[in-house]
Amino acid sequence: MNTTTLRSSLRLAFAFSAAAAAAVAAPLSFDFKDPKGVNNVQFKLDAPLESITGTATGISGKISFDPAKPGATTGTIVLDAKSLTVGNPMMGDHLRSDQWLDVAKHPTITFEAVSLANVRTQGTATTAEVTGKLTVKGITKEVKVPVSLTYLADKLGARVNDPKVKGDLLVLRANFEINRSDFGIKPGQMTDKVSEAIQLSLSIAGAAPRA
Amino acid sequence: MQNRSRLNLALRGTAAAVLLAGLGTWVATGAHRGWTQTSAVTMQKDEITGIDYPVRRDAFVAGVEIPLAAAGLAAVLAGVSLISRRRSAAGLTPAPQN
Repeated sequence: MNTTTLRSSLRLAFAFSAAAAAAVAAPLSFDFKDPKGVNNVQFKLDAPLESITGTATGISGKISFDPAKPGATTGTIVLDAKSLTVGNPMMGDHLRSDQWLDVAKHPTITFEAVSLANVRTQGTATTAEVTGKLTVKGITKEVKVPVSLTYLADKLGARVNDPKVKGDLLVLRANFEINRSDFGIKPGQMTDKVSEAIQLSLSIAGAAPRA
Repeated sequence: MQNRSRLNLALRGTAAAVLLAGLGTWVATGAHRGWTQTSAVTMQKDEITGIDYPVRRDAFVAGVEIPLAAAGLAAVLAGVSLISRRRSAAGLTPAPQN
């Protein structure tokens, strides 16, 4: 092997190594559209006779997550407002009507993660406070949400029951509270019947398939 | 007169049946102390992600408005029966003779 060939081989090896390192270091894009219907948001509003509780499963969105730098996580989660369901159908109709969420005019509720603070990582689990923009009924407010992120490497195949499918999972959990008045949902009205505060609990998993 | 008596009896019987049906439905579906629900949620756990997720199924769970509405309707029927009985009693009483 002459010197020129050796140099070319070294350059090629370096290029491959750099490409591999870049591939490992690059943030992964997790898609939160869940065909299994497991991803869910639960909400609760206190009311005199019985708390109003409901669920929503129409979740989509993408989050960019780097296992080496969880603090750099960004992305957007979108909830189909029509998927909000409560046990009482009349109550559900009211909830989706123009008096409350007006889902015909504002079909989505979105949360855009802008930055993370107080990031603590232990093993595959990260906790942080996400500052983001929450848009409900067309009104966008900045909110701070405590979240936990769990990175599950190589678990996508197990989740879809197909070992041939390669990829990672990211589980995101958050519990927080918003005021309906902040988002123009009957501000200052019916406070004796339905609380101002809406408790939200988010449990979602995103998938980042590998080729 | 006999017809009116039969009507009163039927009204009271219907009132009792409505009240019992309302209470019975409420108790039979779990005596739920909130509003009527047409679906119920059970929580399940996704084994891989550990996420608890709701599974909603159709289920009729009578709320407190069912026995309350039944009681209201029964009260109206019983009231009509009482008024009818008083009227027939008033019709039977002979007018005072001077």
